[in-house]
Amino acid sequence: MASRQEVIPAARRAAGKARVRAGFFLAALAALCCLGGCISLPQSEALRASPPAGLPPRVELTQVPFHLQDDFLCGPASLAMVFNAAGVSSASVESLTPMVYLPGRQGSLQAEMLGATRRTGLVAYTLAPQLEDVLREVAAGTPVVVLLNLALKLVPVWHYAVIVGYDLEKREVIVRSAKRARDEWSFGFLEFFWQESGYWSMLALAPGRVPATAREADFAAAVAALEQAGRRLEARESYRALLARWPDNLVGLIGLGNVEYTLQDMAAAERAFRRASEAHPQSAIAFNNLAHVLAVLGRLADAESAARSAVALEGPALPEARKTLEAILARRHPP
Amino acid sequence: MSTSFVRLISRLLIVCLIGLPFQVNAGMIGTDEVVSAAQAQVARATVLSQISRADVAGQLQSLGLTAQAATDRVAALTDTEVAKLAGQIESLPAGADAGSLLLLILVGVLIWWLVVRK
Repeated sequence: MASRQEVIPAARRAAGKARVRAGFFLAALAALCCLGGCISLPQSEALRASPPAGLPPRVELTQVPFHLQDDFLCGPASLAMVFNAAGVSSASVESLTPMVYLPGRQGSLQAEMLGATRRTGLVAYTLAPQLEDVLREVAAGTPVVVLLNLALKLVPVWHYAVIVGYDLEKREVIVRSAKRARDEWSFGFLEFFWQESGYWSMLALAPGRVPATAREADFAAAVAALEQAGRRLEARESYRALLARWPDNLVGLIGLGNVEYTLQDMAAAERAFRRASEAHPQSAIAFNNLAHVLAVLGRLADAESAARSAVALEGPALPEARKTLEAILARRHPP
Repeated sequence: MSTSFVRLISRLLIVCLIGLPFQVNAGMIGTDEVVSAAQAQVARATVLSQISRADVAGQLQSLGLTAQAATDRVAALTDTEVAKLAGQIESLPAGADAGSLLLLILVGVLIWWLVVRK
């Protein structure tokens, strides 16, 4: 693909017939390579063969602002764009650079892109490595950050860009990248540079939003990571959204209960842990945490029975469950 | 003419051979996902996470962050992410600006083409 581009203008300039012929030959070979699999673009080809069903033919999220980036700052700039789109209007390249840019690497690591998203109070969600999923998220109104390798596998030049639109008919995505606020790239062009990151892409979601292409376990883990990063209020909202979609998700139920517990809403915490213990009677953690909440509420007999269930289930939570039971017994029968 | 064609074809063949493994990778997507989900559960259970966190924070510091900034950043990562970063911060992808680099790549492609043309 790249070779075809450079050959055509050169061949035009070339005086000798031989050069023109060589140019055509090279172009033909390059085209053959594309078809034959030397440059394999399986996803764009699959989309060409069968366009995804249920997507609007053309979407452009014009409301996503553009942040111009100075040298090496595509990480903070890409995040600023998607954070603004998620409702964090104060996010800018200046405010995000200290959160994500790593001077010694002159760039931003993927994990830190996710970490900075959580520190901003948004859910960081990595998509399945599928162009179609990116299109579905854009169609649902969420811009997507992609990681590209602009150079060779051995000498990579990594770069983040933001996909803000697509056109199924023209088979193009609309991209904000580097110093350009709006570029149109063919699906194949994107895929060629995107492949080597393992088709890595991420979303920054406002609390309470569920991705259009959400996978249950991955989204639950993404919300749990937000809780772990200390953003409990935002995590609570997203746990609720997760449970509205998948009411029995264990991570969601335990996570919601834990957040309510730390926020001192013991009634809500009890509800969450009780639902967890009913939907997952094999979860020692659900019973252990339920026992804690009941003990705080002063219902020591119920607490003891929940703690006994937790101990009976054994498993990796056993040491904690034993401690819980001992503490409750000590309170019920003071020496 | 014929030698230049032979050279051209052999160069293209080399490119094709280097490119072949990508095709295999592209078909293998599903498995990675299953593995990473399983790994995440194991990683969550490990007690080593605190050690790796201190380790990663130290590495971030050596790459130009203050101690406070490094600790704050590591606190926002999951155990799985910390485990992946530990010892690999120098080699993992770090996305940077493309403007000037794209120019470099174009120059590289031009040189490559000039060599092929000979």
